[in-house]
Amino acid sequence: MIAVELRKLFRRPRTWATIAVLNALPVLVAVLLVLTDLAPRPGEGPPFLSAVLRNGALYPLAALAIVLPLFLPIAVAVVAGDSIAGEASAGTLRYLLARPAGRTRLLVAKLIAVLAFVLVTVLIVAGVGYVLGTTLFDAQPVTGTSVSGTSLTPADLGGRTLMAIGYVAVSMLGVAAFALFFSTLTDSPLGATMGALAVLVASSLLFTLDAASPIAPYLPTRYWLSFVDFFRDPIHWRDITRGIALQGVYVGVLLAAAWANFTTKDITS
Amino acid sequence: MSGVIATRGLVKRYGRLSAVDGIDLDVRAGDVYGFLGANGSGKTTTVRMLLGLVLPTSGEIDLLGARMPRAGRRVLPRVGALIEGPAHYGHLSGRENLALLDASGPGARRRTRRRRIDEVLEQVGLGGVGRRPVKAYSLGMRQRLGLAGALLRRPELLVLDEPTNGLDPQGISEVRELLLDLHRTGTTVFLSSHLLAEVEQLCSRVGVLDRGRLVLQEQLATLTAPTGATVVHTPTPDRVRAALDGRVTSMDGERVVVRGEDPAEVNALLVGAGIPVTGLALQRPTLEEVVLAATGTSTDRVESR
Amino acid sequence: MAALVGVLVSLPALAGLLPASDASVSAPDLRAAVLASDTVGFSGFAESAGGLDLPVTDQLTSVADLFSDRTRMRVWWRGPIDHRVDVISAGGETGVHRDLMGSWAWEYERATATRTLNSALALPRPPDLLPSTLGRRLLSEATVAEVSRIGALRVAGRDALGLRLTPTEPASSVGRVDIWVDADTGLPLKVEVFGKGAALPALETRFLDFDPSAPDPSTTAFVAPPAAAIRGAPVTDVALEAGRRIRPVPLPPELAGLPRRVLTGVPPGIGLFGRGVTLLAVVPLPSRLAAGLRDALVQSPDAVVDEAGVRVSAGPVALMLLDPPGHGPYVLTGTVTLDALADAAAQLPELGGTP
Repeated sequence: MIAVELRKLFRRPRTWATIAVLNALPVLVAVLLVLTDLAPRPGEGPPFLSAVLRNGALYPLAALAIVLPLFLPIAVAVVAGDSIAGEASAGTLRYLLARPAGRTRLLVAKLIAVLAFVLVTVLIVAGVGYVLGTTLFDAQPVTGTSVSGTSLTPADLGGRTLMAIGYVAVSMLGVAAFALFFSTLTDSPLGATMGALAVLVASSLLFTLDAASPIAPYLPTRYWLSFVDFFRDPIHWRDITRGIALQGVYVGVLLAAAWANFTTKDITS
Repeated sequence: MSGVIATRGLVKRYGRLSAVDGIDLDVRAGDVYGFLGANGSGKTTTVRMLLGLVLPTSGEIDLLGARMPRAGRRVLPRVGALIEGPAHYGHLSGRENLALLDASGPGARRRTRRRRIDEVLEQVGLGGVGRRPVKAYSLGMRQRLGLAGALLRRPELLVLDEPTNGLDPQGISEVRELLLDLHRTGTTVFLSSHLLAEVEQLCSRVGVLDRGRLVLQEQLATLTAPTGATVVHTPTPDRVRAALDGRVTSMDGERVVVRGEDPAEVNALLVGAGIPVTGLALQRPTLEEVVLAATGTSTDRVESR
Repeated sequence: MAALVGVLVSLPALAGLLPASDASVSAPDLRAAVLASDTVGFSGFAESAGGLDLPVTDQLTSVADLFSDRTRMRVWWRGPIDHRVDVISAGGETGVHRDLMGSWAWEYERATATRTLNSALALPRPPDLLPSTLGRRLLSEATVAEVSRIGALRVAGRDALGLRLTPTEPASSVGRVDIWVDADTGLPLKVEVFGKGAALPALETRFLDFDPSAPDPSTTAFVAPPAAAIRGAPVTDVALEAGRRIRPVPLPPELAGLPRRVLTGVPPGIGLFGRGVTLLAVVPLPSRLAAGLRDALVQSPDAVVDEAGVRVSAGPVALMLLDPPGHGPYVLTGTVTLDALADAAAQLPELGGTP
């Protein structure tokens, strides 16, 4: 079942088109940076972007930071929102369930396929970023500098980069869970995607609002940027652990809700 | 095993509206069961409940002797279904669609998958379709592919919802032959349709659904059994009445209905009276007449009050 | 499901409600423990939030941000001359590493390391907002009559004993300062500064994480990374610069009822008056800075404009600009009331104040 879902997802031209579009922005930014040599001013622009001009080996992180606020969640919401609702609107859901694919199994397989998409996407963005960074910019593979100003060995830098990539993937799980949940509510994949994005936009907006500070720690986007904390020295675990726990709670609750809804739902599509 | 599909008091309510209102289906092994009903009469909802897609409000469903929807994982692999038209992944070929569907559930051997796919594609007349993506298929081809999906695991029961939809007359005839073939090899067929002619040509048993209620469930042969009257076609209907006064029950142009179960006897009388007879037959009700008698007005109709 | 969500959401709040165990320490003893705490090693994570919107100009925005924004700080403390405070932002970090002779400031986004030598008077910097540092400073000159005990609180998972400082100076704009002190180490863990009559703190700083064990020396040390630009001898604080350049105005021994303080290493043009949390500074400004400040002051809707001059207050901090002919502009600022500022200006006729 899982293999079937993975095959469906990755044999789909749209999946690769989404990933390609996702990579377009970091490529564009890299080219513009090289042509103009204008680093963003401190406190502006995505994290790590200003550091890239000094060390291209950081471009995978800058690329992730570029796509993290909008492009990546959109891509994840599109794929996850399509998971059940897409089958419903295409009519294939009734055949899958009459096959019978088992509703819980189908949901789990869809979730794992979305996870695989998140991971593959993040790795491709980082990979493309690395290629861009090492070809377009001066790369210093020997040492890296942490955000705190200490020197990092290449092994350390690589390890932290992998952890950061993993963290970004975990951050996207919440988006995926929202979209998957909405996907079981509606037969319109677009509706499910927009629902998840509405949650994220609302969350980002509330995060900037002082009046919403009591609920700020519970906003799904609250700890997204904490992947930067992997590059502080020592690693600043506080927000990272909170981010992972928060995503865990969102994923758990939303998946339970999605399961409860999907297994008792009349399939009329 | 006699009861392939048996429902008792099956009810589905959407809010205050009863889509299916207490039906007792009885489909036996070896039947070609015609499930007739106008659009909106609850046919599709019933089919979806049989397959575990829609959960009944109340009532019981036994499918191949097991209780649905609980036993779905055990029973449904032995059922092939075509529900409200075919649906496939447009960017994949027909072959890949079938392979994915086959791999999505239990009860299908991976080793035989290739061979089974080749066989069913041949069976539905798509043997030479190649690697074309499904989005390039015509409606008829998609219908055939849907049928192929239903046949993939040599099911004991075929549940087909409007299987000839979108096919040309040639295709309709092919599908009819295919279904009769399958029936001959022991497959029970449950055919949901609003086309009376299709059901009349194929089915051995008929159930008629009207506004959520099963108003009729009987062998087709019984429904269309002779009425005990003879239909006479003659250019001179008035002379028939004169000759067989008292036995004529109705006259309609050149068509005269005469009481009497033996056309030969009626013929002898008329010929003896020198009346020309152009046609002579035992009177049988058509399925249409039976259905119309059993159901009320069309469900699409909205009466003014 | 809803119940589960409810439980999960309320867990952090419930954890905060755990009763803190109090101890019967007298207020003066607790104050003494705080003042002795600067050699206690610890590490932690603190957040300060200020509601002070100071109407200031470009050169002083870093100071203004400090008092109006949310500042998040990681700290490793081995002692008063060996510690490190990193102010972290979403995409970067500014770290201050203190050593015997001065401090290194590391700015990640500019990739610069700046060396600053110790000086007697400097503009406030983020480390000054640490609960431990701020609490010690605010309590340093408090009298026994000014401090009292308040209820204990759980701060960063520690039992913290409450101490309230209520300044007795009539000129003070500070209503009270509430400080919660770690029962074991004497380190202030949370500080709230209230303006007179204010219900909400004008400045709040507290630890979110606290670990009472001394960090490793390698954590507080600073070695400039190879890719960094290194700046020595940085721009001296503007006020100090002006204080040297401008011909000093003789300042009285007392202003607005506040005695002048003796400061070593500070040019005579700069005067600091008051005690404890009630301070008034008289500082000469470079003309270009003063012009911008005047514009900002005049435009501020809260500004009080009368014959005494233009003055404004933001929370407990008040500010007044004087521009006497022939002396260059002066600014009067501190934690005093607007009336006290007017009184002070009146005592400085040479600076253009009207008696």
